[in-house]
Amino acid sequence: MSPKQLETQYDVVIVGAGAAGLSASLGLVRSERFAQMKEEGRTPRVLVISKLQPLRSHTGSAEGGIAASLGNIDHDDWHWHFYDTIKGSDWLADQDMAEILAKEAPSMVIGLEHDGVAFSRTEDGHIAQRLFGGHTAEFGKQPVRRTAYAADRIGHQILHALWQQCVKEGVEFAEEWYVSDLVVERDGAGHATARGLVVIDTHTGKVHGVNARNIVLATGGAGRLFHTTSNSWDLTGDGMALALEAGLQLEDTEFVQFHPTGLAHTGILLSEAARGEGGRLLNADGEHFMDRYAPGHGDLAARDVVSRSIVAEVDAGRGVADPKDPNGPKDCVWLDLTGIGEQTLREKLPEVCDTVREYAGLDPAHDLIPIKPTAHYTMGGIPITADGNVYEWVDGARRIVDGLFAAGECSCVSVHGANRLGANSLLDACLFGSRTGATIAADIADDPMAGMPDEEMIDVDSTTVDDAASRREAEIKSLLQPADAESVGADDDTADDAQPDDNPYRLMADLGALMERYAAVRCDHDGIVSALAALDGELAPRAERLHAHSDTAAYNQELTAILEARHLVALAAVMLTASDAREESRGSLCRTDHPQRDDERFLAHSMVTRGRSVDWQPVTITAYPPKARQY
Amino acid sequence: MTNAAVDRMLTVTLRVSRFTPKPERPGRRRGGSPFGSRSKSPFGADAGAGRTNRARGKRWTQDYTLDVHASDSVLDCLLAIKREQDPSLAFRYSCGHGMCGSDAVAINGTPTLLCTAKVRDWVRPDTPGFVGDDGFRPTGEPVDADAHALDLDALDPDTTLVIELAALPGFPTQRDLIADIDPMLDQIRKLEPYLKAAGELQVTDEGKINAFEYLQNPEQLARYELLSNCIACGVCEGSCPVYAGGDAFIGPAAMIAASRFINDSRDNATASRLTALMEPDGARACQSVRACSMHCPKGIDVGEELWQTIQKVDAARVSSEAE
Repeated sequence: MSPKQLETQYDVVIVGAGAAGLSASLGLVRSERFAQMKEEGRTPRVLVISKLQPLRSHTGSAEGGIAASLGNIDHDDWHWHFYDTIKGSDWLADQDMAEILAKEAPSMVIGLEHDGVAFSRTEDGHIAQRLFGGHTAEFGKQPVRRTAYAADRIGHQILHALWQQCVKEGVEFAEEWYVSDLVVERDGAGHATARGLVVIDTHTGKVHGVNARNIVLATGGAGRLFHTTSNSWDLTGDGMALALEAGLQLEDTEFVQFHPTGLAHTGILLSEAARGEGGRLLNADGEHFMDRYAPGHGDLAARDVVSRSIVAEVDAGRGVADPKDPNGPKDCVWLDLTGIGEQTLREKLPEVCDTVREYAGLDPAHDLIPIKPTAHYTMGGIPITADGNVYEWVDGARRIVDGLFAAGECSCVSVHGANRLGANSLLDACLFGSRTGATIAADIADDPMAGMPDEEMIDVDSTTVDDAASRREAEIKSLLQPADAESVGADDDTADDAQPDDNPYRLMADLGALMERYAAVRCDHDGIVSALAALDGELAPRAERLHAHSDTAAYNQELTAILEARHLVALAAVMLTASDAREESRGSLCRTDHPQRDDERFLAHSMVTRGRSVDWQPVTITAYPPKARQY
Repeated sequence: MTNAAVDRMLTVTLRVSRFTPKPERPGRRRGGSPFGSRSKSPFGADAGAGRTNRARGKRWTQDYTLDVHASDSVLDCLLAIKREQDPSLAFRYSCGHGMCGSDAVAINGTPTLLCTAKVRDWVRPDTPGFVGDDGFRPTGEPVDADAHALDLDALDPDTTLVIELAALPGFPTQRDLIADIDPMLDQIRKLEPYLKAAGELQVTDEGKINAFEYLQNPEQLARYELLSNCIACGVCEGSCPVYAGGDAFIGPAAMIAASRFINDSRDNATASRLTALMEPDGARACQSVRACSMHCPKGIDVGEELWQTIQKVDAARVSSEAE
C-alpha cells in the first residue's frame, strides 16, 4: 500500500522500515509532543518509505538476542554492560553514547515486550536471558546472562511487533519505493540543510520529488559489498551512499564485522553454538589450527580472532575448496562436527544441522562442513549525535545538518566502535531510532512553521527537490533506452541464446569478489591500492555504462539494481580509503602491515567524503581509559 | 556417501510464466494498482478489483537452461539467470534463507518459497505425460517433499529436467513472478494485528508502573509462539481454493494473525477478535480444505490452527446467542 497522492510537503519522511525506521516512526507518533500537536489540529504529515514490502526488512533475520541488564536471571548492572560495550569496541566507541545505550537498554527491552514481542520466558514469567560472547559481570570477571531472546528469532519478533504497532498508530507507508537522491542545500557559509528526496515508485517506475522538513535515513548496512555475507540481497548501503552523494561524510567505514562461521559460498550463519558444543576447525592438512592462534581459547576465541585465523590459514595455502565447487578457490576451512555424536547434534544443534543439510547437501554427522568468514555488520556509517542528528566534522567541530537524521546500522553514533558486541545491534537500532523520533517531534512542536508551511518556503524548497527529480527522471529514461538494441532480448524469445552484455547483477558479483579478495577480514596498503585501481579503472566505469535490458518501467528490478550497484561502488571506494588511512589494527580492522593498535595516532573516528578526503574526530572518553583488549 | 553423490550437477530447464504489464494509461486507474486508495473499508471494492481484473500486458512462457547443483535452491538458479542470461526477469527475494517471506511463487503449480525449494526436490522429466490428456496436471501432491522428489539415480541421463515457475496463485500478477499481495496485507491489517494488553503491570516499590514486563510463563508462551513465527509470505493463501475465489474469505494468513493474539495470554481483546471473525468472510468461509498446511515454511499446521480458532468462534457465537 502506498500513498495515492503525495503531500506537497511532509513534516517527516523516514527511509527504511526495519527496526530503526519503525522505532523512529513510533518514537515520533507516540511522543507527547506529537499527541499535543494532534490535539491542536496540526498533526504532522509523516511518511515511511521502504524499498521493500512490509515485514521483509533484514531485521527479521537477527537470531541471537538483545542485550539489557534486566538482571532477570543473574545479578546485573548497567555499568557492566557499559564497560563490556567499550571493551568490545576496542575503545573506539564514544563512551557517552555507550553509556546511554547500556543505561536505557532495560526500559527499551521492556517497551518491546509491551509492544508484543514474544520473548522467551523464565519459569516465573519474566523475560529470559542467555549468555553471549563478551557480556560479563563485574567488569570482565565472569560471564553474565544479559541477552534477552525469543528462541532464535528475536529479529523476526521485533520487526513484526514494531510493524504491528505502526499499523495501530495508522502510520502511512510507501512500499517498494526506492530513494535515488537526498537533496541537501548549502548556504553561503557552507551550512547544510536537507530539503527532500527523489524517489522511484518501483511499481510504476515513476519518479517523485518528496519535499520534507525532516528526513530520517534508516536503510541498514552494506554487507553486499562482499561476496560472502550473512546480509540480505537488499543491504546495498543505500543510505550511506545517499549521504556521500549529498556531500556528507561517513564515519568509521573501515570497520566491518565478519562472523567466522558462514556456510561456505552461501554466507548463511552457522551459530557459535556449533563450536560451543565441540565443533573443531581444521585446515587442509587436517590440523586443528586454532590452538596455534589462541592457546587456551582455541575454537571459542573472540569472533574477530577466529575470522583472522581462518583467513591466515587460507592465505598460507592451507585452505580447502567448497565441495560444491571442487575446482574453485581454496578459501574455506573445515568445521568438523563429526566427533559430537548424532544424538547431541540432534538435541543441541538442530538449526545448524538443518542449515547444513538444506544448503550444503552435507550430513554434519559424517561430512566435514566448508566454512568461511561472512560479512555481518557495518560498525561505521552516517555520523549522528545522541538525538539522531546527522552532523559534519568541520574544522574540529560538529556542524549539524538541519532536517537530517539517521538511525540503525546505516548510522554511526559510535556505540560499536571498532567491533560490535553481540546483541547490541538491535538495541542500537531500537533505542537511538526511538530517540530520533522523539527529537523530531520536539523540533516540529518547537518550530512555529511546522504544520503551517509558508507558501513561499514551499516554493523555494520544491524548486530544489523538483530539479533533482527532473534530472533523475531524465536519467531513468535514458537507462531504459537500450544502448544496443541487438544485445537486448528481454521481450524476445531468443533471449536465452544471446550472450547479454554487462548488467548490475554481474557487476555486484564482481565487486563482491574484489572486496573479498582485498578487504575482507584483513588488508594491507598494497592490496587496498590494487582494489582502488580496479574500482576506478574497471568497476566504476562499468557502473556508469549500465543500462536496463527491458524498457518497461514498471517493476523494473534491474533499474533499481543499477542504482544499487552504483551506491555500492561509491561506498567501496570510501571504505577502502578509510581502511588505508588507518595505519593500525583495531577491533575488526586487521592491517597486516600495521599489526598493532596505535592509540596515539588513531584513537579517533575516520571521517571520509566521496572525494576521499580523510579527517579524524577524537573519541569521547568519559569513564574507561583505553587498555589492551584481551578475552 | 560421498559429497558428489549427494550433490551432483544437473542440467535443468526453468520454465517461467512471464508477464510484462502495459504502461498505465493516464487518467485510468488499473485494478490492483499499488495506488489503490486506502478506502474506509479495507475489505471493500479496491482489494476485490485487484483480484478479479486481469492486468493488461504481454504474457509468455520462457525456458532458461542452466547447469546447477542438485542441492541449489531454485532462487540460486534464478539469480544465476539474472547474472548470466536475462537481467530483466523479475521476482522478489531478499534474505535468501526463508526468514523474510518475499519469495513465495508457484513451483510446478505448488505455492512455496524459492529460497527453501531445492532443485533436487522439484525437477521433473519434461514429458508430455506429466500433464494429463485432459490438460490438467496430476493432483494430490504429497506433503513431504522428499517423498515426491525424483529418484535421480534411476533416471536416463538424457532426460530433460524441468521446473515450472509462475507467480503466486490467488493474487494478481504484477510482473513475471511478482504477485500483488496487498489484498493479504490489507486483510491482516483489518483484524487489528497488534497486542491489546490488559495493562495490568506490576508496580515497583515506589509505586512506579511500567517498570516491568507483562508476566507470561513458558506454557502460556507455547500457546501462541509458533503462530507468532508467521512471516506473511502468502504460501497458505496461494494454496487455498476458497481464497482464490476472491473476497469471500479473509484468508488463512489474516486468521493466523488473529489467532496469534487470541492465544496470547497478555492480550485482552479475545471477545472482539472472535466477533470480527464471525463476519461472513471469517471463520464460516473456511472450508477446512487444509491445503494451507502443506508448504508453510514455518511449519505451522495452518489448517489445524484455523480449525481450533473456528471452534472458539463458534463457541463465542453460541454463548452470545444464548444471552
